[in-house]
Amino acid sequence: MKPLKIGITGVRGIVGETFTPELAVEFAQAFGTYLDGGRILVCRDTRPSGPMIRSAVLSGLLAAGCEIVDLGVCPTPSMQLAVKWLEADGGIAITAGHNPWRWNALKFVRGDGLYLNASQAEELLDIFHQGEFLKANWKVIRSSIEYADPIPKHIETLKKAFAVDVIRKRRLVVAVDCCNGACSFLSPRWLETLGCEVLVLNNDPGAPFPHAPEPKPTTMAQLCAIVKAGRADIGFAHDADGERLGIVTDLGEPLSEEMTLALAAEIRLRKQSGTVVTNVSTTQAIECIASQHGANVVRTPVGQAYISEGLLEHNGVLGGEGSGGITVPEVHLTHDSAAAIGLILEHLAQTAEHVSDMVQHLPRLATLKHDVAVAPHRLYSVLQEFRSVVEQEGLTYDSIDGVKVTLPVGWVHVRASNTESIIRIIVEAKEKSKAVELLDWTRDRLKK
Amino acid sequence: MRAIPTLKISISGVRGVIGQSLTPRLLTRFAQAFGTHTGSGTIVVGRDPRTSGEMVKHAVIAGILSSGGRVVDIGVCPVPTVQLQVRRRKAHGGIAITASHNPAEWNALKFIGPNGLFLDAGQARELLDIYHQGEYTKVGGDEIRTVEEVEGATDAHIKSIIDELGPLPEAGRKLRVVLDSCNGAGSIVGPKLLEALGAEVISINTTPDGSFPRPAEPLPENLGDLCDAVKKHHADVGFAQDMDADRLAIVSEQGTPIGEDYTLVLAALYVLGHERGPVVANLSTTSALEDVARKFDCPLFLTKIGEVNVTDKMQQQNAVIGGEGNGGVIYPRINFARDSLVGMALVLHLLAESGKTVSQLLDQFPKYTVVKERMVCPSEKIPAVLKMLRQEYGRFPLDTRDGVKVTLPEGWFLVRGSNTEPIIRVVAESSEESKAREIVARVYEQVARCIT
Repeated sequence: MKPLKIGITGVRGIVGETFTPELAVEFAQAFGTYLDGGRILVCRDTRPSGPMIRSAVLSGLLAAGCEIVDLGVCPTPSMQLAVKWLEADGGIAITAGHNPWRWNALKFVRGDGLYLNASQAEELLDIFHQGEFLKANWKVIRSSIEYADPIPKHIETLKKAFAVDVIRKRRLVVAVDCCNGACSFLSPRWLETLGCEVLVLNNDPGAPFPHAPEPKPTTMAQLCAIVKAGRADIGFAHDADGERLGIVTDLGEPLSEEMTLALAAEIRLRKQSGTVVTNVSTTQAIECIASQHGANVVRTPVGQAYISEGLLEHNGVLGGEGSGGITVPEVHLTHDSAAAIGLILEHLAQTAEHVSDMVQHLPRLATLKHDVAVAPHRLYSVLQEFRSVVEQEGLTYDSIDGVKVTLPVGWVHVRASNTESIIRIIVEAKEKSKAVELLDWTRDRLKK
Repeated sequence: MRAIPTLKISISGVRGVIGQSLTPRLLTRFAQAFGTHTGSGTIVVGRDPRTSGEMVKHAVIAGILSSGGRVVDIGVCPVPTVQLQVRRRKAHGGIAITASHNPAEWNALKFIGPNGLFLDAGQARELLDIYHQGEYTKVGGDEIRTVEEVEGATDAHIKSIIDELGPLPEAGRKLRVVLDSCNGAGSIVGPKLLEALGAEVISINTTPDGSFPRPAEPLPENLGDLCDAVKKHHADVGFAQDMDADRLAIVSEQGTPIGEDYTLVLAALYVLGHERGPVVANLSTTSALEDVARKFDCPLFLTKIGEVNVTDKMQQQNAVIGGEGNGGVIYPRINFARDSLVGMALVLHLLAESGKTVSQLLDQFPKYTVVKERMVCPSEKIPAVLKMLRQEYGRFPLDTRDGVKVTLPEGWFLVRGSNTEPIIRVVAESSEESKAREIVARVYEQVARCIT
């Protein structure tokens, strides 16, 4: 079976195999039906299949009677912000985020700029599966589309959320790897607005991804080299659509993507104690940091929509996930790597601390991640079997998203990916050797 | 009786009603089938200004890109401009998005081969087979090609006409023309061409916004505004285009529609006066064309109805001019397509060169009146109707290549089923209007009796 995921985070697949124009057309038409026509924003990342999927989406939306504003290539959070100021009823982001070059996906945004939540996504899927869509007749159908550039407004919003004057005075040296993605249009401009000396790499939106668009130490070698050579204060790595952020310290050390949220939480909670919202799969270091600041942590299932809802419900001061996605509520309630950059640079400017020193004082746990490819029709059965094994051993577990087992030396979390046909295992312990043992422990039980 | 379907998939393309049968899914699949058929090459896409055009265009672009094609998007333009661009660019094909004379709620895809001609019957069947089989070429996400948005395709079209025919001679009086573009694809390019030729232009219905100020077919009964404007402005001629600007109808200086059959007659009169050679038309064409061909001692070939049949024969015979009785003029030196722009240029040159009025030009030849009728007819009844006519008129010369054409002493008539609608058409021509009406009335009654 070939990979195609139709689920609560949208529809995602490989172009040329499962992700066809008719699928994109019908999903767009279903979304247009769900919003009863309405004004819809469309944006995309830099993948070569973007124009093809864009045309399919425009066609489906127009057929459903929608009014369309095309934002071209831009970060997804830029579009999410624009939903408000362009007075739209929703948006579609054409991006497969951190997935490889040949993938693409549709992500659905509602009228407040947040992703559809689980029950809204279920409604959309029902409409899609039922296949009965709104069809505008010739008098109603829109004969043209509007265009808008969401980047200036995004920067304006970011400027209001941070102490720009303080940052500008420090003239920080910042290296940034845009991965030739949508952030090529935002990140260098935002850093220049902050008065930084910017060392940009991979900011050609017409070129292929130079490496996997997933900011983690294995993809940040080039950025590390630039940080060292340019004696930068910090290095930032983007994914394809501006949600996830990776960090390289002033010493040129790449941080685990789990550390992005840890660092952001430390910065945030020092200023203002409050609730941090993160998913069940993210490092326990967040709890350690929170307790130092008298703050608390709320855990949700994996996925941005849950983080947004958690922040709303608990009036949180920071949201984020171990994948490197950070939500700064002052900007908006969705992952935004540019907002994370603002938060971090503001702190560096105000305190003159070095990232490398800060990281030294953060709790560092050994986190291991491992993916197991599973045939799509076996994905949830495998998970269910793992749960049975755990139950038979008399262990207690948390089933908020997959199966999370807390053991004396650490914890293990096993879940089905929302976006690919894989089982994700994540384990964490104080020491690496213990983490390896936990991973083996988990894999043994998955094999059963 | 069951409802008449609003979707028509045939060898002349796919046609349907927006908001009902012509869905983006269907369109994007057809475009994938076409991309597969053309072997993932460059495909030119143009559209008429119908309100659904943008929706249809994007479905088409997505389908072409998915099948590995490269898209040249030339925007809103006449169908012949798409055909010209296909040839100019040596593209692998083209898709014209237009339901030509159908009302505003319709739209359609017309498929063009690498030579700028519409797909012939065989190629169209291959395309339909691929569409129905549903297995399309799909290129990987890293190999998807690009969309090139081109402006100025219509300017290139104008230039090719001026380059070939030249502007109108300066010596004469400036010709005054009223143009009715039906708010269609000819709205912008039509007036530009006429000005480039050196005519004085008065335009009506030249806002290409997808609204239909009159029924799109340039039939005499739809041209009231144009006739009035010609009289009011004392114009030398009135031109009426259809929505996709392939067909042209003419209104004389007296403000009278001369009948769309006569467009080709006047065009041939000019072309044959400069270059003798074969003339090709379909078998539903007025005898006046025969008279013109005879005057210049040129052979006339009549084909089955359909642009493809005419262009095929034209290539075969190396024809100098051809076309269809519905106002479609094909002048191969410029474009192997029905082209209202070329038609206007030829007729204006004729007027300028001869110094005569439209009425004077027509008066040189015997007058014919064409009468057309149509009736709803279930397709399974059509063979019986044709058989009845063959028997009933067996003693007269018959042409049965496309329906039944009967040559009577007082004129001729043709009965055939439509390719695009569940109707049967009756056309008759005679040198006297009353006779033509008589023939149509008689045949209509015979057909009606046969159906019921």
